[in-house]
Amino acid sequence: MSKALLMPLTPSTKSQNKTKKMLKAKKKLWSPLSERLLQTRTLSSTICGFLQNQQQYLSNSQPHSLFPFSPYNNNKKSQTSSSSGFSSHFLNFSGKSFCSAQSSEKINLRCWNCNAESQNAPFLVCESCTTIQPVDHSVDYFQLFDLENKYEIEEDHNLQVKYQNWQKKLHPDLVHSKPEKEREFAAEQSARVIDAYRTLNNPLSRAIYILKLEGVNVNEEETVSEPELLAEIMEIREAVEEATDYQALKEIQSLMQEKLQDWSISFASALRGHKFEEAKNCIRRMTYYDRVNEEIVKRL
Amino acid sequence: MLRQLASKRLITQRIQILPRFYHEKVIDHFNNPRNVGSFDKNDPAVGTGLVGAPACGDVMKLQIKVDDTTGEIVDARFKTFGCGSAIASSSVATEWVKGKQMEEVMTIKNTEIAKHLSLPPVKLHCSMLAEDAIKAAVKDYKTKRAKSNVDSEAEPAVKAAQA
Repeated sequence: MSKALLMPLTPSTKSQNKTKKMLKAKKKLWSPLSERLLQTRTLSSTICGFLQNQQQYLSNSQPHSLFPFSPYNNNKKSQTSSSSGFSSHFLNFSGKSFCSAQSSEKINLRCWNCNAESQNAPFLVCESCTTIQPVDHSVDYFQLFDLENKYEIEEDHNLQVKYQNWQKKLHPDLVHSKPEKEREFAAEQSARVIDAYRTLNNPLSRAIYILKLEGVNVNEEETVSEPELLAEIMEIREAVEEATDYQALKEIQSLMQEKLQDWSISFASALRGHKFEEAKNCIRRMTYYDRVNEEIVKRL
Repeated sequence: MLRQLASKRLITQRIQILPRFYHEKVIDHFNNPRNVGSFDKNDPAVGTGLVGAPACGDVMKLQIKVDDTTGEIVDARFKTFGCGSAIASSSVATEWVKGKQMEEVMTIKNTEIAKHLSLPPVKLHCSMLAEDAIKAAVKDYKTKRAKSNVDSEAEPAVKAAQA
């Protein structure tokens, strides 16, 4: 018992990796060891059905762990896979993304430093040795912040807090004494997290980004002549230029923010309905209003 | 310490490079834009071109004043809210259209403006904006004129009908 409790972190994570290998090989192992399984079943204090036993049996057969039923091992298991064990583990990663090929890839992610397998969905930092991992571009910005892939982000998601938490783990200052390889990873990862935060935090850039994820690019080169909109923007820009006092600028700014909000609501509904042309139109309008806003900020 | 010095030197180098990012012609047009201002857009001799770049949110207004009998562009004005390249492009455009026939200015290509200002590839869309603005202004003038012609032709017809 005491030996199992004192076991350092690394071998136990290694043994978990082995668990997964064993799972793959479970069919082979199944029949000859079925008798032992029955034994463990009677010994186990927390029987959560057949599948849990299966996992315990597997850990039992690990060479590292002499005491498979130690509280330590049980805890570790309930952390990685929820109480229903093996089956929920499977559900977990097949539900995360709809592409099965992608999910199997993710499962195989390992730390380049200590070789421990990733346990959290966006694998940016190794949980075992806190080493920063190379950038994985298949992880999009929404996944990075554990958000649903949808346009509206509710306030309670605390994007800023999540962003700060990443920086606490990824900031280049944390690894200044580490090898160059990790310093590079830290620079790239933290830059990407900054970009992700900025992109998602601004309604306009978030709109452009989410359309990009849908495979729709907002054409940068096209010049659209929408006389009414352009006349309106021209008028607003002139008003900003001619505004002499703080109050006047503030008034225009609040008007712009109102318009931005209105159009971002229209964008969200266009996106939900997969009306991409309409969504692009909303983005165009938002770009103009956002630009006016920028100009006001410069002058304030 | 050494690293700090090195980075400082890098920064100063960058500052030196920065002004050179824009060609001197762009800076000249940006600092002393030609023909800034507006004509009365309801004036029948004035054509107004209003264009925008949705990607960056820039807006450009280019107006031409046309001699009704000769079809020559006698004057031009612009007002652009945008980056330096957009302002320079529209400034150049107003200079180029003055004294020319409407048909002639329709052939002005954005590549010529870009070449004149040595615009980098990322700023090509600014010159595109200027080209579109010229075309929009000419088009606006022509539709206005066609409309007034129809009106003036319609008037005698009404008179004839009355008589």
